[in-house]
Amino acid sequence: MKPDTQPGAELDAIDRVLASDDPLVPSSGFLSSVMERVREEAIAPQPIPFPWKRAFPGMVLAAGTIGWLIYEFIRTALAREWQIAFKAPLLAPAEMSLLTPALWVAFALALSLASWAFSKRLMRRSSLL
Amino acid sequence: MTDLAGTPTTVRNDAADPDAADVARVLAGDVGAFEGIVRRWQGPLVNMAWRYCRDRGRAEEMAQEAFLRVWRGLASWRSESSFSTWLFSIAANVYRSELRRFPAAIPIDQIAEPFAAAVQLSDFELHSQRDALRRAVLTLPYNYREPVILYYFHEMDVSRAAQTMGLPEGTVKARLARARDLLRKRFPHLNPQVAAEPSLSTGKDLSR
Repeated sequence: MKPDTQPGAELDAIDRVLASDDPLVPSSGFLSSVMERVREEAIAPQPIPFPWKRAFPGMVLAAGTIGWLIYEFIRTALAREWQIAFKAPLLAPAEMSLLTPALWVAFALALSLASWAFSKRLMRRSSLL
Repeated sequence: MTDLAGTPTTVRNDAADPDAADVARVLAGDVGAFEGIVRRWQGPLVNMAWRYCRDRGRAEEMAQEAFLRVWRGLASWRSESSFSTWLFSIAANVYRSELRRFPAAIPIDQIAEPFAAAVQLSDFELHSQRDALRRAVLTLPYNYREPVILYYFHEMDVSRAAQTMGLPEGTVKARLARARDLLRKRFPHLNPQVAAEPSLSTGKDLSR
């Protein structure tokens, strides 16, 4: 495979051409250009690391909420699928059909408010606000 | 001692290793010490990039990006390993990902047609045909292209090419053999005159 491993071994034409590539001389400004970029990087402030420790409770809360929503979705779907009998509705069907979306909207608003308050509290603690 | 691409042959000597000394100074906070590294390795890295893309401007941009990557990763260099091997590995990774994002634009139909043997060729034709063969390397499938580029960049040293790519030598040898077959098919009548013309060779003894 390696044509030059044996002393005096013949190189084929492909070897000779590809091995005799003319060297390229870097342009005169290349060194200064690289060093300029390096110095820019050196003086640039370090990126702020993501506050994993502080974000952890929020992430757990979000994961729990998502998990709960998935569970509820599956439970509801299964209940419909298998025709599991629900208790008799306390409200008339017309009222129930209006109330259910309203409850979801209220829940979403409350969740948004809670996450906004929580993130604001985190920001205040890290002196960013 | 330098190789074909002007690569300083690295002899590990901790007391007199300028790369190790410069790395230590940079890690101690002397940004200017990185200039020594760039000065020593700019030729090899630009030449290596040139072989990946055959475009001078782009080669310098890719080499600059490789130096920046080296700068960011200096702390991860373990002085037990060769600085040149580490440097070339980083550069190969940069060039590889750069060319995957923006492939070198050399369509196969722009490569000159194979030429007949036993034809007396002018200097211009010889140069064109050598250039056609070199550019044909860039049209090889990627798995075969990089071993060819690095094998000839490292003066036909399979071991160093394999280290640079982070692949076993056997894999590199197999890919190299396949690549050479593909090139031979593309250039079936490669004229010995084209290969042996001394005016454009480096003058190095390649049969050592």
